[in-house]
Formats: sequence, structure tokens, C-alpha cells
Amino acid sequence: MNFAIETQGLSKYYRQVRAVDAVSLRVHRGEIYGFIGLNGAGKTTTIRALLGMIRPSAGSVQVLGQAVGPNGRGPWRRVGHLVEAPAAYPELTVRENLEIARRLHDVPDKNATLRVIERLGLAAYADRRAGVLSTGNLQRLGLARALLHEPELLILDEPANGLDPAGVVEIRELLASLAHEKGVTVFMSSHILTEVDRLATRIGVIHKGRLIEEFDAEKLATLRSHRLEIKVRQLAAAQNTLAQAGFAVKLNASMLVLTEARAIDAPEEVAALLVNAGTPPSRLAVEQEDLEGYFLRLTGEKV
Amino acid sequence: MNAFVAAFWAEALKARRSKITLLTAVGFLLLPFAGGLFMVILKNPAQARAWGLISTKAQLTAGVADWPAFFGMLSLGTAGGGAILFALITAWVFGREFSDHTAKELMALPTPRWVIVAAKFVLTALWILGLTLLIFVVGLGIGTAVDIPGWSAELAATSFWTMLLTALLTFMLMPFVALFASAGRGYLPPLGWAILSLAFAQIASVLGWGDWFPWAVPVQVSGMVKSHADQVGLHSYLLVLGAFFGGVAATMAWWRSADQTR
Repeated sequence: MNFAIETQGLSKYYRQVRAVDAVSLRVHRGEIYGFIGLNGAGKTTTIRALLGMIRPSAGSVQVLGQAVGPNGRGPWRRVGHLVEAPAAYPELTVRENLEIARRLHDVPDKNATLRVIERLGLAAYADRRAGVLSTGNLQRLGLARALLHEPELLILDEPANGLDPAGVVEIRELLASLAHEKGVTVFMSSHILTEVDRLATRIGVIHKGRLIEEFDAEKLATLRSHRLEIKVRQLAAAQNTLAQAGFAVKLNASMLVLTEARAIDAPEEVAALLVNAGTPPSRLAVEQEDLEGYFLRLTGEKV
Repeated sequence: MNAFVAAFWAEALKARRSKITLLTAVGFLLLPFAGGLFMVILKNPAQARAWGLISTKAQLTAGVADWPAFFGMLSLGTAGGGAILFALITAWVFGREFSDHTAKELMALPTPRWVIVAAKFVLTALWILGLTLLIFVVGLGIGTAVDIPGWSAELAATSFWTMLLTALLTFMLMPFVALFASAGRGYLPPLGWAILSLAFAQIASVLGWGDWFPWAVPVQVSGMVKSHADQVGLHSYLLVLGAFFGGVAATMAWWRSADQTR
């Protein structure tokens, strides 16, 4: 099968440090792949290896069916990228920075620069020097450069970095429309897990250099744990009642938490039990673990 | 060819928009102006003696106020001052990509990396050529204004070609500066290298081995050090050529293969 991205045992060592350790990734075409991990987990090193910016210590990288190798070999005409913090020539305007990118990407259509400026909402800043742009607009410039040549594959490192809430939504919708309408494959790393949760169709978790989990976003619902949260005025009495009924009750702040399936599947029985004992709940809800919670549970990290 | 034109266009735009273009021109123009000042001082020794130290220095450097001495100062300045100023230009052209973190934008492109490096070298060469022509033309104007004796068209032509050859040889030593700017990812390592190589060039010249040390050859070719100029031969030019190709190859190899983590 022809994958948009395929790595086999990709490893990168810096002396004793294993920045990336035997990562085997497969990203299907048209997929939005969310690559999540803590700071220093190996996200950016993996992305640099995908783009041929660093030589793997071991393993191989294929992008759009082509081996990525030394001398910058790769299908770069069809790939757009944004690596770490966006950088631009500070003394050049937004338009000039993008014009350089257009020429180096060998895009003959001179209107491509103007189109991407408008698409990324940079028209008001087109003739402003990049050195005076806000972080958010610099990020937009970086994204504009990645999209300028209308690539088949986007490799984006933290695309929502520095954007304001409206900008985050705008870029999310832009990436989603590119994937759904034009079949663009998006490989994005992020530590903003809610963004990945909303956008990605497949998620990979990297931790301490290793790819520890990969799953379809649709399956996340089944992977996430559930719990029944109960708020009650007489906390101790309610806890006692539930314990006597055989539930393993956890006290979390001012709330009782049940994680057993019989409580989650039949919350009405728990409610009836508490009402009959004279300690009626003021709130009772089945809550689902979010991606953040799942991620922290998976990596064993504590908040 | 299209890729090179695109890369060169990008490099030229960056240089045009930068203040360093003007700063290097102003810096290099100090050379003919300083030379002109020495000529004025040497033309009026009585007045110069009244000025004390400045006059003594001027006599040590040039001796007499005439066109051969003035052209000699320009050539020597191109070799000595150029070694630092041209290194500054080269360090900026290459090192800025790392200082501004823009190197990563030049890695995964349809334009090959070696083409980008080649465009940077061509820009550096043209920049140096432009500065050399500038100080020669301005020098002609200053020399005429100061009204020094000893002018001849033949002298002017010989001096012009000596300056160009000096500038060319100095440029040919710049690839190592480019390599240090790239591998050192910034400005300090290449400038450190430029100063160090100039110091070694001095030592090699003093020891009488300057013709065998590429970094000492431009100063010797500049013609100011008459006793050493005769030693420069084919072997000296071949060594400079070797340093040029070695530096270019090493810089390109580094851009092709080294890990780009910035």
C-alpha cells in the first residue's frame, strides 16, 4: 500500500540520548494524523527526519512513496512544512518572504503568493516587515509558506502555536477542508490535545522517543475510561451508603466518583439508592475521559 | 538554471533589503578616504609634523605622496581590510540563516541545497567585486582631488588589475569562512576564523613562508610588501585555488549531509 508517510524503525541518537527510538509510522493518504507527546518526547526530531533535515541513526523514511535521503532528496515539490517556531527574514515583508518561497518551490503562477496571503488572512500585513509581526501573524506566515505550492502532504509542527482562539478555529477549519475537499494528508504534531481531538482522524502518541500507541480517532471513545461523578450535600453519609451497597467509592475534591461498570451502566440505580438513604444527589453524571486524561494515563504522567 | 536564478534572486533580495550592504560599502570606503588623508599629510610635511603622531604613522605606511603609493595603499587595504570585511559579508550571507533560524526553510525544497549554497557564493563574489570597483573609482576621484603626482594610465591599469587579483584571491579564501558560519551556525565562529587566519598569515609572512600559506598570498600579491611579492609563484595560486575548492566542497557537503537542528 502506498502511504503518505512510512517510517521503518526510525531512530535518532545523540550520543547516549535516544531522541527517537525505533518509530514505525504509517500515515494513510487523506488522513489527518495527530502526533502527540510531551516536550522532548521526540515529535520535532521525527518531523525533521521526515523532512530529511537530520540523518536517522537507524531505520528508513518514505514520504509520498519516495525515500528521503541525503542531499535533500525527497518529494518536496508536493510537501509543505512548518517546523517548530516559524522563521522569516525579518527585514523582508510578508509578500517578499512568500515570493522567495514561491520561487524556491518553482511555482510558476505569480498569483499564488497573493492567493495564499488572502487565504491566511494576511492581506493587511502583506507589506509589513516580518520582523515586526506578532507571534500569531508570524505563525500565519509560516502556514502560508507551507500551503503556497498547494502540497499533497502537510507536515506541521504545532500549527496552532501562537494563534488566538479565533485563529485556532480558523486554521482547524482550513486544515479540515483541505483534507476533506482536496484530499490533502495532514501530519501534525501538537501538545494542544483538544485541537488534535477535534481534528485528527488518527492519533499517534510518542513518549520518550517511542511510539507507544496509535489509534483511530473514532476508537478513542472506546479507549477512554468513564466514571460516574456524584455531587451530594451529605458527602460522608452518601459515601457510607454507597460503600455499604458494595461500590468502590473514590472521593475526589467535593465529589464522589464511581468507576465500576455497574455504576456507569445504571446511574439511575445509584441515584435511587442515595435518595432512599436520605442523601439525594445534587448532580449525577457519567463523564468521559478526554484525550488529555487518556494521554496522561497512557504516559503515566501526573498533572 | 531556473533553480539557480530563483536562489540567486532570493539571496540578492535579502542583501538588498539589509543594512549590511550599506554598512560594508561605508566601511570599505574608509580605505580610499584614509589613503587620501595620508596623501594630504605627506604632501605637507611641515604641517604634518605639527600634527605629531598622525604624520609619523602616515610616513611609516606610505612614505611619499604619489599615485603609486596611493594605489599601493588601496591594494594592501583590499587584501588586509578585505580579509576581515569580506569575511563579515560571507559570515552574514551564510550565518544569517542560522541566526534568524531560516535555514530550516531552505532544506526541504525542490531547489537543491547545493544550488542555494552556489547562489550564496556567487552573491558574495559579486558583492566583493562591487566593493572593490567602488573603492577604486572613489580612490581615483580622491587621488585627483588631492592632486598627487606620478599619474599614468599604465599605472592606473596595472593597479586596477592588481586590486582585482587581490580581491579575487581574498574571495577565494572565503569558502572556509562560509563553512565556519554554517557549521558554527552563526557569526562568531567565522569571524574568529577570519581573525585567526589573518594572524597566521602574518606569522607565515614574517617567517618567509607566506607564498606557501594561502591566507598570506593576497597581501603579498597586493604588491605592497615588495620583498615578498617576488616569492609568489604558481604554487601560491594553486594553493589558494585548492583552499577555494576545498572550502566550497566542504561547505556544500556540510549543507548536504549535516543534521539541521535549528
